[in-house]
Amino acid sequence: MATEIALPPDLWDAAANPEGIVANWFFTEGAGVRKGATVAEIMVEKTSFDIAAPADGHLHIVVGKDGVVKPGAVIGTVDGG
Amino acid sequence: MSSNRIMTVSRAISEAIAQEMRTDPKVFVMGEDIGKYGGIFGTTTGLLAEFGEERVRDTPISETGFIGAGVGAAMSGMRPIVELMFVDFFGVCMDSIYNLAAKNIYFSGGNYKVPMVIMTATGGGYSDAGQHSQTLHATFAHLPGLKVVAPSNAYDAKGMMISAIRDDSPVVFMFHKGLQGLAWMASPEAAATELPEEAYTIPFGKANIVRAGKDVTIVTLSMMVHRSLEAAAALEKEGIDAEVIDLRTLVPLDRKTVIRSVAKTGRLVVVDEDYKSFGLTAEILASVVEDDPAHLKAAPQRLAVPDVPIPYSRPMERFVLPNAETIAAAVRATLGKVREAA
Repeated sequence: MATEIALPPDLWDAAANPEGIVANWFFTEGAGVRKGATVAEIMVEKTSFDIAAPADGHLHIVVGKDGVVKPGAVIGTVDGG
Repeated sequence: MSSNRIMTVSRAISEAIAQEMRTDPKVFVMGEDIGKYGGIFGTTTGLLAEFGEERVRDTPISETGFIGAGVGAAMSGMRPIVELMFVDFFGVCMDSIYNLAAKNIYFSGGNYKVPMVIMTATGGGYSDAGQHSQTLHATFAHLPGLKVVAPSNAYDAKGMMISAIRDDSPVVFMFHKGLQGLAWMASPEAAATELPEEAYTIPFGKANIVRAGKDVTIVTLSMMVHRSLEAAAALEKEGIDAEVIDLRTLVPLDRKTVIRSVAKTGRLVVVDEDYKSFGLTAEILASVVEDDPAHLKAAPQRLAVPDVPIPYSRPMERFVLPNAETIAAAVRATLGKVREAA
């Protein structure tokens, strides 16, 4: 079963800055990740947010590096197979 | 313990510092905006939360004060890491660096050690003008008593930072802003690497042959490793096989690896993002011909900033910094080839 890597809806104030970008992925597509590992970095203006893996499994990237995101966006999934 | 993480240089540096702080209570950090902000180039991110204000000390804008304090702390048995935010700011605190940190081991007849790391941001290419864009590699490498290192990727940055912290001499750790992998500044993809979880060291004075080749030797370091590899990839399509050497450290300088390579290829191009005259490019050329002038089959080429302040204007800055095209052209010149018009 795949678990979504979703940005928290209140990660940043969307009224002030509607969009952020995926600044970095720290694992490649298909890589094995552990729950809690920092998998991605989101940048909004000059502020960075680390995003953790929600489960153990294989990473699937939905929004690639430099992709534009809004709060709540699903940027990837972790396949717990 | 292997890892499949692909980490940025900035994260590699902050992880190295954190791991050394966990195992050695003598290690602490000082600098401007290194606490709550985490270092403006991400070198100390997360340290304040883990280690507290006693060991992660935000300083006023007073480089003379806190770098001098670092020298004193080092001589008293601590292992300070001080961050000089931009290497360009060395002008206000150079006495602490080159008369105190660099010379006190010598002046004390070896009775004092100065186990201190001065980490500092170098490099241009992002339109930040002449007092925020220099590398100044040779300025520090010229002065006896300092080890000077400049990694090109995350794996080297972590290992070299740990080596720097454990070294009993002062080490100037020069990281290039454009390699840090910061969200707000573009970085070459190859700067981020797989990064082992455990602490490890990389010995100083050992250059890395990052691309083996037989036709020409390109000697470089820091950001210009990536530009040189781009040039080598383009030259491969023309049938030119370039060897690229990442020096990794200026002091100590691995002359042996350079000489061995040039003895093989007979052709030499040196690429540096520092100023051209009286610098690294000349030092490498001199080292090769001092060993044996017959190593060279053709006049060597050197690429560096042509002795002008780094321009703020983007097109002018691009013009003065070496890039893949100018490096490839220099390689062709050593081979007596001029690119045919397309």
